[in-house]
Amino acid sequence: MYSLPLSAAIAHGVLPVAPGPAAYADAELVAQLQGGSEAAFRTLVERYQNRIYRTILALLRNPEEAEDVAQEVFVEVYQTIGRFRGEAALSTWLYRLATSRALKHRQRARAQKRFAYFTSLLGFNNQVLHEPVDASHPQAQLEGQEQLALLLAHIARLPDQQQVAFTLRHEQELSYEEIAAVLNTTVSAVESLLFRARKTLRNHLAHSLRHA
Amino acid sequence: MLDLPTRPSADEEWENLLRQWRAQPPAQPRPFFYGRVRARLMSGAAERQLLPAWLRWPSYAVMLGIILLLSGDGAMLRPNGPARQYQLYPAGRPAALPAR
Repeated sequence: MYSLPLSAAIAHGVLPVAPGPAAYADAELVAQLQGGSEAAFRTLVERYQNRIYRTILALLRNPEEAEDVAQEVFVEVYQTIGRFRGEAALSTWLYRLATSRALKHRQRARAQKRFAYFTSLLGFNNQVLHEPVDASHPQAQLEGQEQLALLLAHIARLPDQQQVAFTLRHEQELSYEEIAAVLNTTVSAVESLLFRARKTLRNHLAHSLRHA
Repeated sequence: MLDLPTRPSADEEWENLLRQWRAQPPAQPRPFFYGRVRARLMSGAAERQLLPAWLRWPSYAVMLGIILLLSGDGAMLRPNGPARQYQLYPAGRPAALPAR
């Protein structure tokens, strides 16, 4: 789990000096939620469900898994809201939970796949190994979206940190400062992650399109 | 002079692709998402209420093991192996055999 000390956040310019109306609304929501208000929880879910779902979907590329992980995120929010001290923005905390849970989910799925592969090699089971269905991102299922599908496929192959940074920047349109807060790093580190991600993607896309 | 249509540069193509990504209709979770989150919370709470009953059984097993150990019945199970026979020499080490 990421953590962002208040002093470090202020030093990096991550926290706004004067919170906007959204921050005040979130603070009020958190206070009500910490008081046990179910209506506040419902408001929070409805306010953030699309953003959280889309972020997770961009990382996992499977609508069912994305929904499952998004549900887990909100359950965790409900169970741990008492420990939320407002050291980061509510949205930052939610994005941290969402990205870390999505990456964990993917690691677990990859480990299970590797384990199933090795057990099948050793003959422990006679099940036929099926490749999991690569349910394309719904955006990429539309006709004439080959390039977009290619882009999303290459994003999925980026290293975790680059993938999260790129997704938050271009899917969620977060600022560099917001991404730095989510990843618990500096703005210059985010710039570096995005630079490397773009370079890799552009190289792969150029290569793929030449061979298409 | 030929008036060839200008091909977009690599940078423009890249920007167009990102624009195309952002212009797509946004994905959303299925309807009644909140209801499913709430149901999951409720089922989690129900499982937690059941957990103490589950936890009692291992604790009973541990307690039974402790009682059996303290009762002394465990001595019957100890092996009478060579390690115990060496303790018969009072000096701790056996005397050397006489030379022939």
